[in-house]
Amino acid sequence: MTASQIKVNMLAKAAHHPTSASSGAFESSDLKSPKTKAIVTKGVEMVFQSGSQRFHALSSVDLDIYSGDVQLLMGPSGSGKTTLLSILGGILTPTKGSVQILDREITDLSRSELSRFRLHNIGFIFQEFNLFSALTAAENVELVLKLKGFKQRAARKEARELLEQVGLGQKINNKPHDLSGGQKQRVAIARALAGSPQLIMADEPTAALDSQSGHEVIALLRQLAKEGGRTVLMVTHDPRIIDVADRVAYLEDGKLKR
Amino acid sequence: MVSIARKNLFEDIPRFLVAQAGIMFAVSLVTIQTGILNGFTRSTVLLIENSTADLWMAAREMENLELTQPIPAERVTQAQQVEGVARAEALAIQSGRWISPSGDIASVRIIGYDPAGQLFRLWNVTQGSQADIRQPYSLIVDEANLKSLGFDQVGEQANIGAAPARLVGLTKGTQSIASSAFVFTSLENTKAYATAGLTSTVRCRTQAQGGVDCTTVYERLQASPNQAAPNAPAISEPQPLNANDPIAYVLVKAEAGQDVTNLQRRLNDQFPNNHTYTRAEMANITRDYWQRRTGIGFVLGLGATVGIIVGVVIVGQILYSSVSDNIKEFGTLKAMGASDWIIYRVIIEQALWMAILGYIPSIGLCLGLGTWTFATQGIMILITPISAAGIFAITVGMCVGSAIFAIQKVTHVDPAIVFKA
Repeated sequence: MTASQIKVNMLAKAAHHPTSASSGAFESSDLKSPKTKAIVTKGVEMVFQSGSQRFHALSSVDLDIYSGDVQLLMGPSGSGKTTLLSILGGILTPTKGSVQILDREITDLSRSELSRFRLHNIGFIFQEFNLFSALTAAENVELVLKLKGFKQRAARKEARELLEQVGLGQKINNKPHDLSGGQKQRVAIARALAGSPQLIMADEPTAALDSQSGHEVIALLRQLAKEGGRTVLMVTHDPRIIDVADRVAYLEDGKLKR
Repeated sequence: MVSIARKNLFEDIPRFLVAQAGIMFAVSLVTIQTGILNGFTRSTVLLIENSTADLWMAAREMENLELTQPIPAERVTQAQQVEGVARAEALAIQSGRWISPSGDIASVRIIGYDPAGQLFRLWNVTQGSQADIRQPYSLIVDEANLKSLGFDQVGEQANIGAAPARLVGLTKGTQSIASSAFVFTSLENTKAYATAGLTSTVRCRTQAQGGVDCTTVYERLQASPNQAAPNAPAISEPQPLNANDPIAYVLVKAEAGQDVTNLQRRLNDQFPNNHTYTRAEMANITRDYWQRRTGIGFVLGLGATVGIIVGVVIVGQILYSSVSDNIKEFGTLKAMGASDWIIYRVIIEQALWMAILGYIPSIGLCLGLGTWTFATQGIMILITPISAAGIFAITVGMCVGSAIFAIQKVTHVDPAIVFKA
């Protein structure tokens, strides 16, 4: 897949713009048929304590995220975006509140149950890619598949297909240091898609990329999300991404802004 | 699973080599120290383990092979008459003052045995024949002692005290590291070396268990250690042992089918002033003496312990640094849903690779070093299959133990770090 093809796809899929809230929770106005909710948070609070200092990172966050949507989480630095992403990704447990992901209340899960839940339901994409530097592109993807229980041969085949899908069929044996920033992020996307999780969570996926690579990565994410019917939650500062998002939530001082 | 451990290890080859050098140092230190300790203890019991005697009769005061009170030679014939004894032979051990051809002096341990006997035979005779020590004042020494005794080759002559000592043969691997140089000769020659230039008296002791034991005691009648006294007896032909002559041990072979423990009990009952040990007991007493009652075992054991501690510190530091360098990768694994155990497995696998790849060249190096020291210095660095397996287990334990430090770091890693640029 070339950059121009991705761009064409992106434009053809005409993004919806961020909108309003209803029934107390933030959600976009959706003119299409009603969608199921992939994520529902109610009254989420996160307090960090350092000595005698208490810091409210999030306060009363009610948010609904719909299946198949590309949902953006925006806001200034220190607004709590990453903390909220960590909670919605089952990495952090909130101090208070309810988090339902795919109809499962994750705040009740034990540490090991949460690990299993993340493994099978969520794919992560990171700002700094977080690829294993000693592994090739294919091995980075295979690793996740093996964690999910794929046999070696099946994992290898699936990894190759995913890398071809993100346009890196010729780079499967390259290690991260032999890849450009955009290519690394595509490997990270292939890794996030490994095993077909229903949710993709991306933290500033374009922050470390140049403009063109950023566009390509966003287009690719949207295309893969829509084709696969996945929900994509993205934390970003990048205003270019608003155009491809179905919904946008703004966070400021730990609170969602209406 | 893709081996992250192996790939991480080999990603930075220079760092890997430095790490392996550290592990090799630690493993070699442990191997050499334990090898010297094993070689040392083995060497102290070589004479015991290479005898074919089932039982060793000694004075009750015996502390180790070379430290015992004399017993009269008549015990040999007395033991021979005990029911169940197939054969009894004498073994004499004396100290002597060696005067090399160039006039240098040294202590030697004279081991006297019957060259026609069956229960004590020299092994690894590389030059000459055991029968040659029947000749008056002839002896065989270990190749490792050739230089220290001032010899260049077989046929040369030195002195033990006032008596001549002619080298008629060589052995290999018969010397105890803990002792003065062994010189092997006949019982007659041993007596001659003990008595040359001395006068004899018979000394009797009343034993605690009753009875009287008499042995001949030889005393020097000279003022200067290097000069025979003017009135000392002349050097004469070696004579056979008489009943009162001192020997160190009676070696006993049990008759075929005879229960050795029962025979041991009978000998102890019949000779209450002596004690009879099985060969294994004799070896254990001697081994135990050197390991526990001298500081040598402690010092060598301490060296091995230091090696292990150094190894744990080195491997721990290497693994900790490797985990620190890859902490974001481990955090990523955790964030993606890998259980803690999967991450521990990666670190432990890395430790195991380090253990294996550090162990193999180290053991090869130590085997080479052991061969060299034995050939050139006569010092045995003993690496048996069991000790090699033990050192491998220690190496694995050391590396996996060190991995615990690294695991602590990963256990406490916050998976949320993956979102921090």
